[in-house]
Amino acid sequence: MEDFNPLQAAELGGTRLIYEPLEIPSTISGVYTPFLATGYAFTDPTTLVYTIRQSVKWSDGKPFSAADVVFTFNLLKKYPAFDSTGIWSAITAVSASGKDVTFTLKSPDVPFADTIAQVPIVPEHLWASISDPVAYTNDHPVGTGPFTLGQFAPTQYTLKKNPSYWGAATIVPSEVVFPAQSTNQSTNQLEVVAGDYDWSYNYLPDVKQTYVAKDPTHNTYWFPPGGVIGLYLNLTKAPYNDVNFRMGLSEALDRTTIAAKAVNGYMQPASMTGLVLPNLEKWLDPSIPNTGLISQDRSSALADFTKAGYTQQGASLVGPGGVQASMTIVVPVSFSDWLAAGTEVSTELGAIGIKVTLDTPQYAQYSSEIQGGTFDAAIGGYGGTGSPYTDFDQALSSAFAAPVNTPTVNNFERFKDPAADQALAALAAATSPSVQMQATAQLESIMYSQVPVVLMYYGGSWGLFSTKHFTGWPSASDPYTLPTPYNNALLTVITHLKSAP
Amino acid sequence: MRYRYVRRKVVLFVITLWAALTLNFLLPRLMPGSPVDAALGKLAAAGVTITNAERTAIEMQLGVPHGSLITQYWQYLTGIAHFNFGVSYSFPNETVAQAIGSAAPWTLVLVGSTTIFAFIIGTLLGVYAGWRRGKAADSVITVGATFFAGFPPFWLGLLALYWLSFKLGWFPIKGGYSPGVTPSLSLSFLADAFDHSILPALALAITSLSGWVFGMRNNMINTLGEDYVTFAEANGLRTRTVALLYAARNALLPNVTAFGLSLGAVVGGAVLVEGVFGYPGLGNLLYIAVSNHDYPLMQALFLVITVSMLVAIFIVDLLYVRLDPRVGQ
Amino acid sequence: MTIVTAAPPPESPGAGVEVRGGPASEAIPTSLLFLGRALRTLWSNRKARVGLCIIGFDILIAICAPLIAPHSPTATTFTPYSGPTATNWLGTTGNGQDVFSQMIYGSRITLMVGLAAGALATLVAVTMGLVAGYRPGPVDEVLSFITNLALVIPGLPLMIILAAYLQGRSIWTIVLVVAFTSWATGARVIRSQATTLRSREYVTAAVFSGERLFRIVFREILPNMTSLVAASFFGAATAAILAEASLEFLGLGNPSTVSWGTILYFAQQQNALLTGQWVLVFAPGLAIALLAVSFTLVNFGVDALSNPRLREKS
Repeated sequence: MEDFNPLQAAELGGTRLIYEPLEIPSTISGVYTPFLATGYAFTDPTTLVYTIRQSVKWSDGKPFSAADVVFTFNLLKKYPAFDSTGIWSAITAVSASGKDVTFTLKSPDVPFADTIAQVPIVPEHLWASISDPVAYTNDHPVGTGPFTLGQFAPTQYTLKKNPSYWGAATIVPSEVVFPAQSTNQSTNQLEVVAGDYDWSYNYLPDVKQTYVAKDPTHNTYWFPPGGVIGLYLNLTKAPYNDVNFRMGLSEALDRTTIAAKAVNGYMQPASMTGLVLPNLEKWLDPSIPNTGLISQDRSSALADFTKAGYTQQGASLVGPGGVQASMTIVVPVSFSDWLAAGTEVSTELGAIGIKVTLDTPQYAQYSSEIQGGTFDAAIGGYGGTGSPYTDFDQALSSAFAAPVNTPTVNNFERFKDPAADQALAALAAATSPSVQMQATAQLESIMYSQVPVVLMYYGGSWGLFSTKHFTGWPSASDPYTLPTPYNNALLTVITHLKSAP
Repeated sequence: MRYRYVRRKVVLFVITLWAALTLNFLLPRLMPGSPVDAALGKLAAAGVTITNAERTAIEMQLGVPHGSLITQYWQYLTGIAHFNFGVSYSFPNETVAQAIGSAAPWTLVLVGSTTIFAFIIGTLLGVYAGWRRGKAADSVITVGATFFAGFPPFWLGLLALYWLSFKLGWFPIKGGYSPGVTPSLSLSFLADAFDHSILPALALAITSLSGWVFGMRNNMINTLGEDYVTFAEANGLRTRTVALLYAARNALLPNVTAFGLSLGAVVGGAVLVEGVFGYPGLGNLLYIAVSNHDYPLMQALFLVITVSMLVAIFIVDLLYVRLDPRVGQ
Repeated sequence: MTIVTAAPPPESPGAGVEVRGGPASEAIPTSLLFLGRALRTLWSNRKARVGLCIIGFDILIAICAPLIAPHSPTATTFTPYSGPTATNWLGTTGNGQDVFSQMIYGSRITLMVGLAAGALATLVAVTMGLVAGYRPGPVDEVLSFITNLALVIPGLPLMIILAAYLQGRSIWTIVLVVAFTSWATGARVIRSQATTLRSREYVTAAVFSGERLFRIVFREILPNMTSLVAASFFGAATAAILAEASLEFLGLGNPSTVSWGTILYFAQQQNALLTGQWVLVFAPGLAIALLAVSFTLVNFGVDALSNPRLREKS
């Protein structure tokens, strides 16, 4: 379906090369790359000012200005269906004056700049007259970005370079081609290997043999951590509401084996601090032992279980009333890596005497179980936004901890701790690096010592590249963004490319 | 008498249609989980961070059905009367009618021609096997057909995909036509589409051949034993003439009935094969719809399949009256 | 769905069984006699013999799985993505499980689903068909209507929806779903046969001698349909095996059980074709096909039983 409406959730991926946001924070380090803004500043914790780039033109030749930015944000207010990141739940006003666009925030929230910065800006002179922008499919997109729409066919579309782009001199590719992906992942993988792609995003088993070996001089891959996969526990249920029990579970797991089974050993065991390492290394609190890694330790796990009232009797871990500890882990059936992790977790917890059942519904049912809070335990994803605040906020904020049967998308383990809320508020309001560091360290220690989620291994980001035509792909030696072609990283990567020698 | 037979069939057709419509409405709603959860799942799988605000936005964009079951049922029935099936959740901005409209030709051509092909070849083989009963040809045909009947079509498809497409590169790996090509009726496009359809069609045809062979063979054998055939033979007609003109024609009748039944069911059989090859037909669409809990798309797909089946059976029932004068007397 | 049953379609003019009716008092010995003769006829049919041998072989493997399998089917202790080696005859899965052992243990689930779903579907088919066939009028109308409705609702899509709804907590979900969707053909055939039998003299005689409905249906009519019941059982079992494979392959089964269908599912999920492990796809598919074929072969024998014109001269 031809849909280049940048404000919809369902637009085609290439739209991100046609419309630009103000700035793009790296999903690895959080460092900003400026696009339509040249910089921003908090004049106070609730006032955010962006300086807008000058002499930028829309691809139809009309000049771009600060008024377009204000128009776009007001469009989100008028059509809440567009406001998928909750902009207007955090700001009260937006205004332009000369080169500056000023946002007024409801409460001090410095990390929210990430969200504001990434809204794609649309042209007022064309969008003001659209009667129903929500249903608008925008098949003749006019943007400020480095590419414009070329050919469109149902199974493939092509974007061609925008010669009047403000940074046109640095844009190397003359054309970007987007073939449609099939719903069958295996077929896609076969095609990636057999085909002639410069960049694709796919988990491949045994990647050195299946991908690199097909063209050893050009084919490369980079699988950086893009989040954390953890064992979520329902904190509204006993015994998961007991931190000692959670600690016992954490120490009973052999994370190296779990990672090896789940993702072919591409990923490392995760730090229990809640930081995605090494991406967010600079925030790591040095006082936390061994960068927050927990290794399997049966005896100390048993000691923790004993504190929680569970002791090993024969081969089973028996709790109050002489009942064996049992748990149902819910895993969406189509996520084969999570399923493999869940299988290994049940084997390992079974070995310590817990009776584990794997429940494997379709994603929709999994999602309603975890969001509604009716689950025991679940394999789920955590973090990966590139912002420690957002990662911690989504996992720990009591604002998200809805009562059981009221769905919540974040903090579905339903963790509540006033200390965590305070630290989050402090981090949100902090503009100085030292205060940010202090609040982050506090949150790390809460994650580490209270185990709201048993973090297990890093979730991968599966970038496959060919250096045949272009170089400058993100890599371990140049980790400027995650290799994800489906979000704003697309724009970051394409604007980084150089011609292959 | 005939008039009463036809009237009875019409009444039955209408009641069956209504019952199928109602069942079709209820079935998708019995499933747990909501379309919003499925849509959020798709976003999460793609790595998008989901917030509560995102959830609300998607609920608004998808227009999740609210109101009582009765209200929804009434909307469903009036919608069908106006050929209005709503907007698909899995293909936002596309109406269900559009999604089905663009997929239907692919399935019609792929599965329709496969079935017709399997019907003709299978029936001919069946006639031959029945006529040569107990001879070597009969054994080869029936054993071969039995063997192929046990193959899961998607499995044949996977193996063909691996050896012929991936390893040897003789056929395209996926899709109904090459990326970047806009469907048209040009010769080059048709050739391209044909190239893409060979493997899925082969996988489907080979495995569905057998039903026709068995059916026809058994009917042939039964018919060959009927008095009028023996009589014809005794009257000095050549055996080939007997087999083809008398026995085969009469033995075909039950197979025609089966043809009507199978034509509608064939779309169902193609779900996996189309999925394996990422073929842009109704089967693929149905699987997408089910995994996304896409109520409007699912309802419409079930409706299309069920109604086409009902109509096919109805037509065959009426045809039957013409073909076999004994019916309805 | 392909039509896999070798049973003649309902309208087939020669579908009638050999009627060996007699006075009511002789019903039981007659049917026992018939059963013995049936088994002998089955075995004398070459195709049915091959089928029975394959089924017997599979059952033997399923029963003796712990003795035959070299490893545990779920132990993830081997090198993942390995091709066939001396320890892992068919290679290993992406999780490092031994595929050969999985194939051995997988026969249990696949057989069980096939036999159980076949039996359940046959039970429904017999009940619906007999009652409808024996009770003309409103009862027949309603039951025939339900049968016809079940016949026109497309099978696999319905199965997919039902399986997604019931969500494969156990293989019994699949058994129920498959049974629920594949009884109609059998019911139709049995109904038309029951309708024919109802008007036979010995049934009429039984009615006049004051026998109860239940007794008439199960003592007089059913024994004369053994071959039809068997045919619908083997037909449904074949369909069940293929349906189980399809549902498991789509991920609608229970992936934590080991069956031939889940081996295929994981081969696809872990992309065995990409890693060149085509054996992981080939072996379970072939096993499923062989079992399905063996049921069909047995049905040939059943056909020959019901219709002497089909009987082979061997």
